[in-house]
Amino acid sequence: MAKNQNVLKSIPTLTPALNKQRVKPRPFHKRIEQIIGYGFILPTVILLSMFVFYPFLQSVYLSFFMTDPLGNIVGFVGLQNYVDLFTSKEFLGSLKTTFLFAIFTVPTGIFISLLLAVLTHNKLKGMRIFQFIFALPIAMSVGTSSIIWLLLFNPTSGVLNYLLNLVGLESIQWLTDPNWALVSVSMMTIWLSLGLDYIILLAGLQAIPKELYESAKIDGAGSFRIFSKITIPMLSPTIFFVLIISVIQALQAFGQFNILTGGGPMKSTNVFVFSLYQEAFVNFQFGLGSTRAFVLFVIILLFTWIQFKFGEKKVHYQ
Amino acid sequence: MRFKSHLITVLFVFFLLVTVGCTSKTSGAINEGNESSPDTAANTTNESTNEEPAPEGKTEVVFWHSMGGKNGKTLEKMIQDFNGSQEDIHVKPIFQGSYGDSLTKLKTSLQSSSGPTIMQSNFISSGPMIDTKMVRPIQDLIDAEGYDLSQLDQNVLSAYEMDGQLYSMPFNASTLLMYYNKDMFEENGLDPNNPPQTYEELEEAAMKLTGEGKYGASFSVDSYFLEQLFTVQGAELVNNGNGRQDLATKSFINSQEAIDTFTWWKKLVDDGLMLNLGTNTEDTHQAFLSEQVGMTLASTAGLTNMLEGSKGKFELGTAFIPYPEAKTGAGGVSVGGGSLYIMNNKSEAEQQAAWEFIKYVVGAEQQGHWYINSGYFPVNTDAYELPEVVETLAQFPQFETAINQLEVALENNAGSNAGKGPVLGVYPDARTITVEALEKVLNDVQSPKDALDEAAEEITKKIARYNQTVQ
Repeated sequence: MAKNQNVLKSIPTLTPALNKQRVKPRPFHKRIEQIIGYGFILPTVILLSMFVFYPFLQSVYLSFFMTDPLGNIVGFVGLQNYVDLFTSKEFLGSLKTTFLFAIFTVPTGIFISLLLAVLTHNKLKGMRIFQFIFALPIAMSVGTSSIIWLLLFNPTSGVLNYLLNLVGLESIQWLTDPNWALVSVSMMTIWLSLGLDYIILLAGLQAIPKELYESAKIDGAGSFRIFSKITIPMLSPTIFFVLIISVIQALQAFGQFNILTGGGPMKSTNVFVFSLYQEAFVNFQFGLGSTRAFVLFVIILLFTWIQFKFGEKKVHYQ
Repeated sequence: MRFKSHLITVLFVFFLLVTVGCTSKTSGAINEGNESSPDTAANTTNESTNEEPAPEGKTEVVFWHSMGGKNGKTLEKMIQDFNGSQEDIHVKPIFQGSYGDSLTKLKTSLQSSSGPTIMQSNFISSGPMIDTKMVRPIQDLIDAEGYDLSQLDQNVLSAYEMDGQLYSMPFNASTLLMYYNKDMFEENGLDPNNPPQTYEELEEAAMKLTGEGKYGASFSVDSYFLEQLFTVQGAELVNNGNGRQDLATKSFINSQEAIDTFTWWKKLVDDGLMLNLGTNTEDTHQAFLSEQVGMTLASTAGLTNMLEGSKGKFELGTAFIPYPEAKTGAGGVSVGGGSLYIMNNKSEAEQQAAWEFIKYVVGAEQQGHWYINSGYFPVNTDAYELPEVVETLAQFPQFETAINQLEVALENNAGSNAGKGPVLGVYPDARTITVEALEKVLNDVQSPKDALDEAAEEITKKIARYNQTVQ
């Protein structure tokens, strides 16, 4: 806690403290500097306002209204949309599916990419080829990957079932069996997110000073000990970053569900954003859709806050 | 280092080739009702090629369509012919994916003028299309000009007539067909020229066909198929005369006809006679064409694709869709397929140009060409007399089944609202819910009756909300 307070003190406060004397007018050149400073962030502020803040406020506004098939506002309904949402089985089901999806994909994805990063983080000949291959999924769009996996998952002519049959196992209805569908999409998502996770983790590994490893080796530490006592702590800020973006990505996943399963079978892959899309852009209930969007925002905010609150303590910053 | 970077380039190019090879698999959108056919998505890049701008001084008419695969190519050819024959009109086709996707895009475009002048939409979207209030009723143009409708198929027109007028011009008419493998029938001691007609007969035939890794049938869990299986028994899907007398307020999806159909379907799957491949219609067709299953369901629109796919492998048969024996003669299929709308947010000149194009494509010659190159049956009855059509019919009698089926339907329906098909605003919702109900039944979560009761209740709730917003 003490450390936290120190950090707080070091941040310049924006509100003028009352006990201080009247702020003296700043010298001219300081003002110019300030104006130039604002000038630099202005383009970003304008873009963000146009494409993030305005739509955000608009959707909060819309969440209190009912809309006609063209999306025009028909009437104010107050909190009715929120009441409808939280009493709808479909919504609660989609929350559960989304969290399951995050649990399936995030830890597995980080674990595999960490493993690959550690394995390929050396100077052996030909290692760059592996690095290239493992980073490849980053260049794939969700749409393209989904189409590829659709072919792999094909129940009668897909490669996965062919391989299963080859070793004498029965075919699996990857995308049409409600027990398998979410697992199948998760598999595809883990592969898809591997590229980014891998690159970030590999960069993190390369930033760890060689001297630490050398001195540990001289002291006689084994490779597992080096990994758990040096690599993991030194890499923890990177892992933490990957964790946060992965969780946010998992909660916002949409493309693969839209293409692979369409939320089915039996709503077993009806994740949050898919049900939002369905409500707003297929059924044209923008009010209900916006309600979902706002709830999703709050959930993500909450999650990120929780992760910072509890996760960051375990992180070792240099 | 040099070697390495070369290697990386080579690897990358190889990878790209693999990717491209995977995605450019062409296959037609055989199925009418399926909203999420992933292959149509893959086709998008192939279809929207006709991007050249309109030549100076011509009125440009933007035409959004949903014809992928072979049918799309046929349509683009017809448009090219039209453009070539015109002095001052240029039609620009844009493929917008499935009907469902296209409607979604249309709705988002209506607030601005970025949308099309002509919009192709499927029959079941009639409710949502009219409710946008952005449609110029075709009837206006017909009346203004005294256009003669008598050459058009009266069965089809009656389906599209709502509130006593035509809002859109039927263009690609279809019905649902059952396709079967004649060779497989023969091998298993079944008469290849006498396909099963009733639920009971189909079950018997499936029993004989099943075995050695083969299945009697595979029907995709698709709402369009289910709607047709109910309609053919004479059941209405919503109240108020199937939504044709007044805005529908209640779903009839839990009718006895629906319960019977679900029970029959489930029994087929449970007994191992039907291969359940879920909601992806493409998969069932693939299984059918690779001779894993003996029977499947698809729109007439898929006929040319099916003929091509079965060529050299087996003889393709087409049959009426089945019904329970007790319901013989109770109803018939309704007209599916699509129609062309003119949007009213475009200039009068553009709307008139669009009308010229519509008159052209429903002409006998164009419809005849369309018929034998797609499988959609002609909305213009004069087309049947064209020599090329007569020739094709003699060569491929499979084309005739759809027309015969509609003929029977017309007799059985005799002006009933069930046979004309439902008018319903919340159709995308209703379809999702219907499909989910059958999935629940097939996965032993609920009994057919419970699943359908719940579905009816849910759809009714959605209808109530929708009606509140359009009144």
